[in-house]
Amino acid sequence: MNSMNRPKSLAKPLVVDRMSKSFGAVDVILDLNLRVEPGEFICIVGPSGVGKTTLLRCLSGLAAPSSGQVSVGGEVVREPLDEIALVFQDYRGSLMPWMRTLENVTFPLQGRGIGREQRDRTGMECLAAVGLENAARSYPWELSGGMQQRVAIARALAYDAHILLMDEPFGSLDAQTRLGLEDLVLDLRRRLNISIVVVTHDIDEAVYLADRVVVLAGRPATVVDTVTVDLGLNRDQMTTKSDPRFVQYRNRVLKEIMQ
Amino acid sequence: MSARDPSQNRFRSIVALWWLPVVLVAAWWIFSASSQSFYFPPLQKILAVLVRDLVSGSLLVDLFISVGNMLAGLGFAILFGILLGLAIGEYGAVRRATTPTLNFLRAIPPAAIVPIVIIAMGIGSAPKIFIIALACFWPVLLNTIDGVRGIPTPLIDTARAFRIPLGLRFRRVLLMAALPQIMAGIRVAVAVALVLMVISEFFGASAGLGFYINESKQRFAMPETWAGTVLVGILGYLMSALFLRIERWMLGWYFQDAGSSAKTAR
Repeated sequence: MNSMNRPKSLAKPLVVDRMSKSFGAVDVILDLNLRVEPGEFICIVGPSGVGKTTLLRCLSGLAAPSSGQVSVGGEVVREPLDEIALVFQDYRGSLMPWMRTLENVTFPLQGRGIGREQRDRTGMECLAAVGLENAARSYPWELSGGMQQRVAIARALAYDAHILLMDEPFGSLDAQTRLGLEDLVLDLRRRLNISIVVVTHDIDEAVYLADRVVVLAGRPATVVDTVTVDLGLNRDQMTTKSDPRFVQYRNRVLKEIMQ
Repeated sequence: MSARDPSQNRFRSIVALWWLPVVLVAAWWIFSASSQSFYFPPLQKILAVLVRDLVSGSLLVDLFISVGNMLAGLGFAILFGILLGLAIGEYGAVRRATTPTLNFLRAIPPAAIVPIVIIAMGIGSAPKIFIIALACFWPVLLNTIDGVRGIPTPLIDTARAFRIPLGLRFRRVLLMAALPQIMAGIRVAVAVALVLMVISEFFGASAGLGFYINESKQRFAMPETWAGTVLVGILGYLMSALFLRIERWMLGWYFQDAGSSAKTAR
């Protein structure tokens, strides 16, 4: 994969500086600060409706903050950037049903003017990275939900961004598929030098995945706590989740959300 | 239940589809066979005239001219309907600037402008093509606008998030996502084209199926008038049947996707 060889110095931090977002008179997010270091894995958790998706839309440049700013390596995010790739919650709606899997993955590269041959090569590498090299010629609707979300992840990888933003990426998948994809993302994270920000309402998932869990709560939403998860890079579903420290982190986040 | 012989199944479905038309044509044939009415000649005679004039080539030429006019008119309508529809559907400013004008123009029945167009453009093919194009333009345009406006937000967000450039965005996202509705508009346009083809050839024409029907009527040649009418009916049926095939072929992903959405919803 092309991103594997990227020198670390090219990666840039994602900085949110006193960002607020309101819709009309309703303040959704107030004075939020956040810094995502290159290579860091951040999970943003919070109760449903707290404004997690709104925050992610602002981070990605799909929505504009009402005040404050989001920047990547000093450049203010006003529109979606080449440095940021997105995986949507609605995998079904974010894949083009008239394109085969490979074309879905390489479509953004076509937009960059990359030639067919190189595009397809990168696309196949990224499909292989998510274990879907055999589904290249399938249409999205021929695949299961979990496979469709893996296609969306492959597309984000092919985009070769420094920062991967994921909005409730596994929220609508069954438990087993979900655990498999969590491990897939952890594996990609170990192999690729990218920052990942995952928004989720699942506290176990957040603690299992993240280096830092950012807890969002309140109305309007602010960061109420940031939990550094010191569980190392190698995690697995059984031992990590029964580790006493995991349980401690989990309970701490849970308590903050329940308040 | 045991599996039935597939050829038998196929036979059954063909029977289910075709028994009524066959009965109707047979009834027409039988009840008109001994008709002495000047206005309602026997079907046998109508078909004989139809075959005679097709074989002799005169009606065949009319048929080609009419089909040519229709295809040209439809082509222009589809091209401009889609182009303008994409622009209006995508850009609010274009939509606001054009909506009142379009609503007014759309309210004029296309048949009402036939005399003006004939006077202005003469009796060749050009005015016919123009009239067909104008009438077919509306269903294509309106459906394209609706199709573009109805594109689900996640697709639009995806195209934005991955910075798909303008040309590619129109060609591979907006056009494709709106295609099911565009095709529905074209299906309507095909039917409209047939109507306007006939009407436009009633006035100031020297060839075409409409001309053949009208000219036969003026000579009181009733079998010929009927033959032309029957041919228009057959042509209309074949065109819509052909279009359905094209639609199925172009929108394969759409029909499959709709069928599988329940299955993979979770």
